[in-house]
Amino acid sequence: MSSNDLLQLRGVAKSFGATLALEPTSLDIQDGSFVAIVGPSGCGKSTLFNVIAGLLKPDSGEVQVADHVVTGTAGHVGYMLQKDLLMPWRTVEENITMAARLTRGVNDDDRAEARRVAEQYGLGEFLRHYPHALSGGMRQRVAFMRTLVTRHPLLLLDEPFGALDAQTRLEMQQWLLEVWKEAQRTVLFITHDVDESIFLSDRVLVMSPRPGRIIADFVNPLARPRNLDVLTDPHFVELKSQILHLLHGGR
Amino acid sequence: MNIRRLGALVLAGSLASGSLTMLALGANASAAPLTNVTFAYDFPSPDFELVPMVVAQDQGFFTQGGLKVKVVFPPDTSTTTKLLATGAAGIGFITTTDMGVAVNAGAPVLSIGNYTMSNNWALFAKPGVSLTAKNLKSEIEGKKIFSYGDTWTESMLPFVLRHAGLTSSQVSIVTDPTGQDLKFLLAGKVNIATNTSNYEVAGFDTSGTKGKESTLLGTAIGAPNIPIWVYATTRSYAASNPKTVSAFMSAMEKATLWAVANPTKAASEFDKAYPKSGYSNAYSLAGWKLTIPFMKNSAGQYFTQTSAQWATMARALKSIKLITAVKQPSTYYTNKFLPSS
Amino acid sequence: MDPQTRDLERAPRESGQRDRSRTQTVLRNVGIPVLSIVLVLLLWQAIVIIFHVAPYIAPRPMAAIQSVTDNWGLLWPLVLGTIRETIYGFVCGAVLGLGLGVIMAKTPFLHRMVYPVLVLSQGVPIIALGAPLVLILGFGVTPKVVIVAWIVFFPVTVNVLAGLSHVDQDLLNLARVYGASRWRTFWQIEIPASTTSLFAGMKIGATYAVTGAILGELVTPSGASGSLALYQETANTNFNVAAVYGTTMVMTAIGISWFLLIVGSEVLATPWQRRTVARRSMFRRRRDVPPTLRVH
Repeated sequence: MSSNDLLQLRGVAKSFGATLALEPTSLDIQDGSFVAIVGPSGCGKSTLFNVIAGLLKPDSGEVQVADHVVTGTAGHVGYMLQKDLLMPWRTVEENITMAARLTRGVNDDDRAEARRVAEQYGLGEFLRHYPHALSGGMRQRVAFMRTLVTRHPLLLLDEPFGALDAQTRLEMQQWLLEVWKEAQRTVLFITHDVDESIFLSDRVLVMSPRPGRIIADFVNPLARPRNLDVLTDPHFVELKSQILHLLHGGR
Repeated sequence: MNIRRLGALVLAGSLASGSLTMLALGANASAAPLTNVTFAYDFPSPDFELVPMVVAQDQGFFTQGGLKVKVVFPPDTSTTTKLLATGAAGIGFITTTDMGVAVNAGAPVLSIGNYTMSNNWALFAKPGVSLTAKNLKSEIEGKKIFSYGDTWTESMLPFVLRHAGLTSSQVSIVTDPTGQDLKFLLAGKVNIATNTSNYEVAGFDTSGTKGKESTLLGTAIGAPNIPIWVYATTRSYAASNPKTVSAFMSAMEKATLWAVANPTKAASEFDKAYPKSGYSNAYSLAGWKLTIPFMKNSAGQYFTQTSAQWATMARALKSIKLITAVKQPSTYYTNKFLPSS
Repeated sequence: MDPQTRDLERAPRESGQRDRSRTQTVLRNVGIPVLSIVLVLLLWQAIVIIFHVAPYIAPRPMAAIQSVTDNWGLLWPLVLGTIRETIYGFVCGAVLGLGLGVIMAKTPFLHRMVYPVLVLSQGVPIIALGAPLVLILGFGVTPKVVIVAWIVFFPVTVNVLAGLSHVDQDLLNLARVYGASRWRTFWQIEIPASTTSLFAGMKIGATYAVTGAILGELVTPSGASGSLALYQETANTNFNVAAVYGTTMVMTAIGISWFLLIVGSEVLATPWQRRTVARRSMFRRRRDVPPTLRVH
């Protein structure tokens, strides 16, 4: 790798009809970092993700993952949404190995890996369960493991905990940090929740709508490992107030 | 002929007796100066054998007799007897073999007059195909023989097979209640059609096919020579409405004579009364003209029944095990409602 | 609280009372329908007795049942014939329905072109099909199979179409993100996601299939071998009303059995609808990997 950046966007823009959803955007994401993106609805966060994932072809610009130009092509990143998108007809283990099943067929190594991550992250007993038998938090963990076992170094997480209750969300955030540390991946994390963005990330990007663009890029000064005490840390409070100011103006 | 008896399933699938009774109550409820009579035909749709009925209505013969007659059509040919038995219809039109099996099953039906006097049921083959009494065995053995599956055909076929010295397994009987006999015969799907000559010949002659069908009358090959259709009622209806039944037969006599004398006008009246019957005027006229010769006995009488005909019918059905007991002829019929007696 | 413990608590328990509750479920699902059938028969018997319904109008249910048992040797081959027509016709109809549904879902042009024809096909009275089918296909089992398939394919096609067009678009996008081929996406996502719709269509088809077979027997003659419908016809013309009702009961039994068979295959094909935990696979013995094995 010539640079230390896993993901590079160069002047990526996307319109839907007359609406400019994402104005030309450039971005570098360092390998192994955890970057949060906050912004109101309609600010182009999901468009940005869909462009990076290759679901959308940008009108202009270039996407590079690990120094390969992948603009408009899929299959280079792990992607997870607020909806867990587990297949109801597949067991936990089969859902975790879904990417392999969808691309080249599942082999014993895939199954072993699925069992390993499930056992390591607390779902070992539920490998043969169907998704409907799991709680919302457990389902999101399965969805995350499914993303993890794709072995893609870059994971796009689009409000993965948005549908969970506050208590479960806190637990999932801590769990995610634990997994991120062990799995050594690069994470791009969309959220509405400013607390969540600061608690999890090394860096917070703030986006604004009409047209969608990145208006601020904060380096998170909080040390790791973090626990719930950081929520009252002065650095946390300061960063939070700056972000909120950007999002809501002077109000 | 048309689609027969698809309604059998419908009737069989429901406990229909309740609704039939309701229908009967409705029919008798009106207290108009004219007496209401419900007449049930033997077939789910109207055809040229209804010509006298239409004439009786159009020429006012019923009104003159103080009657107002409503014609109903059964879902299948065997239901007419049941309509009579439940009182849903007062008078009906059925075959003599229907009478046989109905009486055998305990239904109190009573025949009040012949419609035709002799048996014109026959075997038919495509023009040019040999069909003779002499070589019957070789001509029908292993062949596909069409049957409507009605009581009449069921009663007649065993006599034909017996005459030919064949068993039912030596021929292939194709039973089709929807009555596509002529279509199947002309397409070569069956070798032999069975039908009464008035219907078959009318159908063939108006089908546009060249030539003349080979015909072999059933009576020439073992089938009993008995009338096919009769007017019938039940014993209880006849007992409580003797004047109505007499008036009905009297009107039918006038109408029949009128229709025999004026076949063309009569057939047109039928077409006007049932414009949606699905039959052409040519077919109805041909059919009615072919029916006329069978309505009169050798003494020139219409309607008159004989004990001999009913005894023959019962013995015949018993001999082919379609009924279990031969009853006295008077169990089946009476002539006392005929105008001449 | 430890998140894992909380989730474990929320997960459904593997109940020790499972066997007992299953027995209760079976009793409820089988016992109540059987009871209601017995009640209908009793009511029927009572109506016939109380209103003095003549046996040639409506027989007592016992007489109808007896007419079946007494003539079982004669009826059995006809019953087999009807079952055969039902199975052949249903399978042809379901396969055709599924195929049409898939093709139409995948090619909007064909969808627009074929759909009106399919709707038109269902407007054709089955009775009108009888004569042409016999003229083309003869008196054998084939025209009946065609009629059953004719009736069965339509609800299957409509439901498969609906099922395929309602697959979660996000799930399909996810498959694209993974770089899945269209073929694998189809087999792994679209088909399983449409299973419920497919079975909904097949269940409607199943209720019509036996009726279709009987109708087929009625409008396309069978020749010397006869058929259940014609047996009933003959019983009807011969005033053997007990046999008419008995045959109806047999037809109903075939219809219900066929429906239950389809429902049963749905239960087997969609275990996730009812089960919490998958059964052990019958086909693959999986190697156990020690949990200590680490990739990274």
